Amino acid sequence: MTPQLAGGVVLIGWPQLLLASAFVLVTGAIALWMQLGVTKDLAIGAARTYVQLLLLGVVLRWAFAADRWWWVVGILAIMTVAAARIILRRAPDAPSGLFLAAVTSMAVTGITVTFAVTGLVIGAEPWYSPRYVIPIAGMVLGNSMTGIALSLERVFADLDSRSDEVLAMSALGATPWEAAHPSVRSALRAGLIPAINSMAAAGIVFIPGMMTGQILAGADPLEATKYQIVVMLMVAAAEVIGAVIAVLMSYKRRFTSDGVFLHKGLREGAKR
Amino acid sequence: MAGMPDAPTPTIAARGLTVRRRADAGMLLVLDAVDIEAVAGTLVDVVGPSGAGKSTLLLALARLLPGAEGALQLEGHPASEIDPRTWRARVAYLPQRSALLPGTVESNLRAPWLLKIRAGIPAPDPAALRAALDRIHLADVALDRDVERLSEGQAARIALLRTVLTKPQVLLLDEPDAALDEASADEVGRLTREFADGGGAVVRVRHHRADGLADRRLRLEAGTLTEVGL
Repeated sequence: MTPQLAGGVVLIGWPQLLLASAFVLVTGAIALWMQLGVTKDLAIGAARTYVQLLLLGVVLRWAFAADRWWWVVGILAIMTVAAARIILRRAPDAPSGLFLAAVTSMAVTGITVTFAVTGLVIGAEPWYSPRYVIPIAGMVLGNSMTGIALSLERVFADLDSRSDEVLAMSALGATPWEAAHPSVRSALRAGLIPAINSMAAAGIVFIPGMMTGQILAGADPLEATKYQIVVMLMVAAAEVIGAVIAVLMSYKRRFTSDGVFLHKGLREGAKR
Repeated sequence: MAGMPDAPTPTIAARGLTVRRRADAGMLLVLDAVDIEAVAGTLVDVVGPSGAGKSTLLLALARLLPGAEGALQLEGHPASEIDPRTWRARVAYLPQRSALLPGTVESNLRAPWLLKIRAGIPAPDPAALRAALDRIHLADVALDRDVERLSEGQAARIALLRTVLTKPQVLLLDEPDAALDEASADEVGRLTREFADGGGAVVRVRHHRADGLADRRLRLEAGTLTEVGL
């Protein structure tokens, strides 16, 4: 079969796309046979992949054609809110009321890093150029989401595990920041690990997604590499900035306005 | 009455201290309008069965318990006039469980002076810390020893010493000798009595029977405090 080409890209037809589902069916059959209990999740995941990505393709095609800044900003806003919701779901021990912290951290990192890359590094024209802004924002938000979720999960888990220490510090007159500082540090370290690991393994263990996509689209590998380096460094920066904002905006929620640490016993006593 | 000396202003006083907590059977009154005070130079013991709310009482006195109701005073000044962190620096609460921080003996003893609340106040130098350790019979404990390598008795003494070195006006001790051997318990008791004799006020929660150090003994049961004999 001769592959269909468009602008150097091998086109995938609907039959080929459905053929790819056969792999999922095989995986599902194995999961069912081994009674792994994940067959339903696998089916839902595969269906979501089809629906969400095809929808994204349609939206992107339409956004590229429309070429209007407000559509781009609107799409970024939806991505940011969706990412914030996912972050909060991944940190079940976090106190309530952290939506603003999650949205702010995602928005600040998403906007700053995305436009730094598209404006200063790529030099995209106009500034909102959807072809550049939306995919790069997707990468930045997706990666910083992981870092922020890890940091938020860690800061509250660490505060709980240091409960006695935090109480002892508060009893000595420590501010919430002084008592929480070791947990904040540990949370930020945890949030940075994926970015550090990813930078360390890039090019050796795996070929990053963006670079792969560009090579498949016919780009020169060295040019694709330059893009990938920029994106990886920016993503690492986004993870740090995002995690710092999210953790600094949220750790105080484990303390009262009088600086009293709300340890598990107090929280359960109030909830029951 | 003419000629009668005025009663000294209590260093710490609580009036109508009330704490409610949600329990399986509904709201539980842990402290039911409790009145308590401790004057300078005295050691007040609070005894009572497990779960009676003794630790809760200390946390409320230290302003470390959200939702506690009642009027607290420090040397006659209402709590509302004193910043909560300043209050906690002057009314030092020592928790029942290990209060030491990860690190060495020296870093623990100096930790209070790294806090903003004591900014500008010089921390005791290593010679002073060494002398303080010697005074509580911990001559064999090096300042650079990791606190992980301390016995329970040594850790308890160092935690108490750290609090005493900050020179608070009130010490709130939550079962300071509960898990200690006799010699360590005696040492902790001696240090506590010394603090009171130096002009401090102490409220101490204890399970053990009387050790002869307290000036007053109160019993907390069913949310109420009653005076019991020494």
